[in-house]
Amino acid sequence: MARRVVITSMGIISCLGNDPQDIAAHVRSEKKVFRQDEFDPSLVVAPVAGFDPRQHTGRFKNLRYLNRGAAFAVSSAFIAVSGSGLSDKQLNRAGLFAGAGPNFDLGRECPRIEDGKICHEAMSALWMLRFLPNTASAVISRLTGVHGENLTVATACAASLQAIGEAYRKIKDGYLELALAGGGDSRLNPGGTLAYQMAQALYRGPLRPEEASRPFDRNRQGFIPGEGGAFFVLESLEHAAARGADILAEVTGYGSALDAHAMTAPHPGGCYAEKAVKTALKQAGLYASDIDLVSSHGTGTPLNDDMEAELINRLFGAKPTVLALKSWIGHLASACGAVELALCLCSLKTGVWPWIRNLDKPCHPALNFLLDFKITPPETILLQNFGFGGQNAAMVIRAWV
Amino acid sequence: MLFEKVQQIIMELMDIPAKDITQETYLVRDLDLESIDFLELAVSLNAAFKIDIHDDTIFLRNLRLYLNEALEKTIQPKEFLGRKYPFLSAERIQQVLSDLEAGPVIKVKDLVSYVQWAGGKKKAA
Repeated sequence: MARRVVITSMGIISCLGNDPQDIAAHVRSEKKVFRQDEFDPSLVVAPVAGFDPRQHTGRFKNLRYLNRGAAFAVSSAFIAVSGSGLSDKQLNRAGLFAGAGPNFDLGRECPRIEDGKICHEAMSALWMLRFLPNTASAVISRLTGVHGENLTVATACAASLQAIGEAYRKIKDGYLELALAGGGDSRLNPGGTLAYQMAQALYRGPLRPEEASRPFDRNRQGFIPGEGGAFFVLESLEHAAARGADILAEVTGYGSALDAHAMTAPHPGGCYAEKAVKTALKQAGLYASDIDLVSSHGTGTPLNDDMEAELINRLFGAKPTVLALKSWIGHLASACGAVELALCLCSLKTGVWPWIRNLDKPCHPALNFLLDFKITPPETILLQNFGFGGQNAAMVIRAWV
Repeated sequence: MLFEKVQQIIMELMDIPAKDITQETYLVRDLDLESIDFLELAVSLNAAFKIDIHDDTIFLRNLRLYLNEALEKTIQPKEFLGRKYPFLSAERIQQVLSDLEAGPVIKVKDLVSYVQWAGGKKKAA
């Protein structure tokens, strides 16, 4: 029989804070995290102020090879391991599954390119490491002593949820007893914001920064880029019980599917997003009516939110509470799944749920969008993330009570 | 002045505090530099001082090969090393020869000597 898989430790670095109590306090006080972009004042971004990986990992020379997104991954993984109580021997056997995005920080990585010739004077000898997606994993492994089966997942904005899903399945199916899984990302640099701006996916004025991220609102106009990271320790229930670990939640199902439709736009009918969700539900052994809360992808782009609202309505109707965490932290690209899962685990702990901000005129009349921070504690939570390229991922978790 | 600049480069590269980097600090024995760190160091020194960095020379890479070669050719080791590493003083070469047992001999001050020597050569040219 397949094994049960639980989450026993987590690390999160976000613009709302790095631990459940801080995050709850910042939700209740509606902390202002959205700002005008330094490079392009017409854009709004959600930075993590004052981030320095050394504050988490201590001094380590190979931090020089981390792009900012990878630094969020390494830092949050280090926090998750530090709080896990795992021994060196247990870590030695652990797997590692990381979601990673591309490094778009071209202007800073290669400051001068003239007529196609790269001036490499200011570049490090191994600058390539700042572009290789598995550099974060290499540094995490070096810092934590994780040696098991590993995989770096690079499926755009579905990547970190898929990384956690792959770790879950490896443990469920008996290939591993435990694994680290998560991701970190930042596109808050001139190259990153330029990329999404040219793809017309970003919000551009005229509202104030705090009003710009508005998932599922009729006046939504695009997403707000954010940054951060989250990592988790996943282990078999037996392994967790044997060592007396604190259990934060159980992962009960996971699914993914590809649209085979457009390069950036989601399939308007959402049929393969639906397939990912149904696969996760089936694996969890649940009916749609069992889901209490949906943490939506909710980017605030016109296309995603229409597709996703229709999808939620079709599968679940008005029953589950719908969250859109990007209204608080922006869109963390490949790291959004991990950080949104971390925020859900924080809310399970504190009872403070980030309602959907700026939802003045819902784009769908029937859905139960969360508009208050207090709700009946949910037992089952569905997380959805969809990425460019038609990547769809869904995960079901169960509160541990 | 040169030393402080070299110290700053090593500090940033290796993420270690300045107080742990003196003229007498060993790069490998004390600071654990490994091959990719030497790669980075060469690139950084080149960029900072605008001088050609000959990796094998500045990092005393073939030191032990040269000692064997000197033995074969029956040339005084001190003289032979002086030819191969023109940036090292006779006094420093003497130190190096008496310090071979405990591992790689290269110290921060050797980098400083190289930078000074290469800078002088560039000026002369």
